[in-house]
Amino acid sequence: MSDNTTRDSTDAAATDGGVKTEQYLDKEINLFKPATPFMRDNLRAMWGLFALWAIVVFGPTTAVLIAPDVMTGTEVLGGFPLHFFITAVVTPLGALVLSAVYAYQRDRLDTKYGISHEDDVETDSSETVAADGGDR
Amino acid sequence: MMDPVVLDSALDIGFKTVPTLILVGMLALFLGVGYFFRVAAVDELWVAGRSIGSVENGMAIGANWMSAASYLGVAGLIATIGYFGLAYVVGWTTGYFILLIFMAAQFRRFGKYTAPDFVGDRFYSDWARGIAAFTTLVIAFVYAVGQASGMGLMSQYIFGVSYETGVILLMAVTIGYVALSGMLGTTKNMAIQYIILIIAFTLGLYATGWAQGWSLAVPYLEAGPQVAEAASLEAQLVEPFAFTSYYGWIALTFSLIVGTCGLPHVLVRFYTVDNERTARWSTVWGLFFICLLYWGTATYAAFGGLLYADGPGDGSFMDMPGGDADSIVLLTAQLAELPEWLVGLVAAGAVAAALATTAGLFITASSAAAHDIYTNLYKENATQREQLIVGRSTILGIGILTTIIGLNPPALIGELVAMSFAIAGSIFFPVFFLGLWWEKTTREGAIAGMLVGMVISFGAILNDTAIPMYTGVETAVIPEVAAYLPGTASALIGVPVVFAVIIVVSLLTEEPPEDVKRLVRQCHSPEPMHQMDSAEDVAADGGSPADD
Repeated sequence: MSDNTTRDSTDAAATDGGVKTEQYLDKEINLFKPATPFMRDNLRAMWGLFALWAIVVFGPTTAVLIAPDVMTGTEVLGGFPLHFFITAVVTPLGALVLSAVYAYQRDRLDTKYGISHEDDVETDSSETVAADGGDR
Repeated sequence: MMDPVVLDSALDIGFKTVPTLILVGMLALFLGVGYFFRVAAVDELWVAGRSIGSVENGMAIGANWMSAASYLGVAGLIATIGYFGLAYVVGWTTGYFILLIFMAAQFRRFGKYTAPDFVGDRFYSDWARGIAAFTTLVIAFVYAVGQASGMGLMSQYIFGVSYETGVILLMAVTIGYVALSGMLGTTKNMAIQYIILIIAFTLGLYATGWAQGWSLAVPYLEAGPQVAEAASLEAQLVEPFAFTSYYGWIALTFSLIVGTCGLPHVLVRFYTVDNERTARWSTVWGLFFICLLYWGTATYAAFGGLLYADGPGDGSFMDMPGGDADSIVLLTAQLAELPEWLVGLVAAGAVAAALATTAGLFITASSAAAHDIYTNLYKENATQREQLIVGRSTILGIGILTTIIGLNPPALIGELVAMSFAIAGSIFFPVFFLGLWWEKTTREGAIAGMLVGMVISFGAILNDTAIPMYTGVETAVIPEVAAYLPGTASALIGVPVVFAVIIVVSLLTEEPPEDVKRLVRQCHSPEPMHQMDSAEDVAADGGSPADD
């Protein structure tokens, strides 16, 4: 069905020897039950940032509901009502910052588990990658 | 809901030489780039050989994302529905975070061509694939109607033609453009389109600030006094729940967020990058490029509102007709008496935004028809030539249909696009999310979930927009339902219901086969994959000989 004629012929060799791949392919994927150390670390970062994101996105409008006078009565930057400014400018910025933090966290996680995304690195010898991180 | 098309417009309608030249030059550039990077091979047509880097892909995400709805629609909505309009700003930016943490890299690892491909393979069912392909076509169609409407409005200013002529003219250009270039040409073009549209949008905003003495360096932060002044004219602008309840605000925001994660033409952008790290960082870049525009929408609404009240609005602006609201970005530049070439550039930027997104939508629609419906369901051994023919006929067909509905659109641009988000959120988001994160999601669960999602999202749109529009009745068929299940925001109810349906049906039916589970695991494995690999290849390679 997906005939990929340009497929790299070294694939099979590169992935067959990978003990780690085997291990990951045998563990169940369930959002609430991380089965591998990598998944546990990844999900910890995800849930923490997700909670912050929920506050950034739905917090301001909920605050308007709870404390309307504070949110609509306060003026910032020469005239913006506080709720208007936060929703229009701060919330998108918050999501952007959280996204960058997550991408950075994932890069650190990759380093911790000795993962490199350079395509032409030989992935079958994980020692090499771990020993001299400066491949390429 | 306001009348979308009006005869008397505040726009300066008439043929203008310089703006016309800007637009023609821009289109020539797009076609030239499309021609230069033209493609014939299927792999390149749809996923650009999986070779795009993160900043360039981020720009493509931005251009693909920012349609006439972002460029024109959001500012118009803030100007007419005030704080409720900011739900669009929040929903259309922050959703990318969810896409990033839960889906972007996993989709890249899955590594197939289209959203229906994912559904078909993950849920080992041609029925599921067919339903997903049909949904993709519907989303592309509803989304594109809003774009056609934006193109018609801008043509009035640029060419001085009627709205209807403008829709037909520019949609014809779009169809020709998409059919001539492929995805590679489109991706290159999208980076260029992003640059053009962000310059046009931002320059119009800055120049208005300078011309009126309102802002100097950062209008987004300096517009406080103008927001206050606009609010003194129209208190409802900043009144939090003047146009909707707290529930309505949250429902719309939620719906737009999950819609972001379920849109096929957004997801396909992750298939085009070289690895999953690039998928992640291009999402971050994409969100940054998107924020650059969205931060300006509220400022445009305030600037435009004041100028409108000062001129055609006669002291008020929130009750402006729909056509003016959807043109408020252009009207701001025009009413600030900026030079004609600059106003023309703002209009041309809007056309670029509409064209870029429509191109992306039509590409996904054509691959859904050619790849998922024709090849996988109808003719297993279709040649590449046949696929290209089917794909191009689909583009033509959906383009003509979009043009016809776009001549008399049933809602404002932003609302139309929001409806396609509600569809994507209710039908696709649950199957994508559970498909990736719970390996025991079954074929039966996914199909049941998608069908329930269709009933909810299509039903909501029929109830409060489509049926009233074509029967001439002003209100929704069942107003009580419309209050809790608006066509633009049905996903707040749709998503939990569909999740529940999928989970219950999955628990009651037989577990997915082992090779499908391995496919899901491979999407989450930290092991790097080769550029041209899909999860299926790797999962099969490492599997026991008994597999397959």
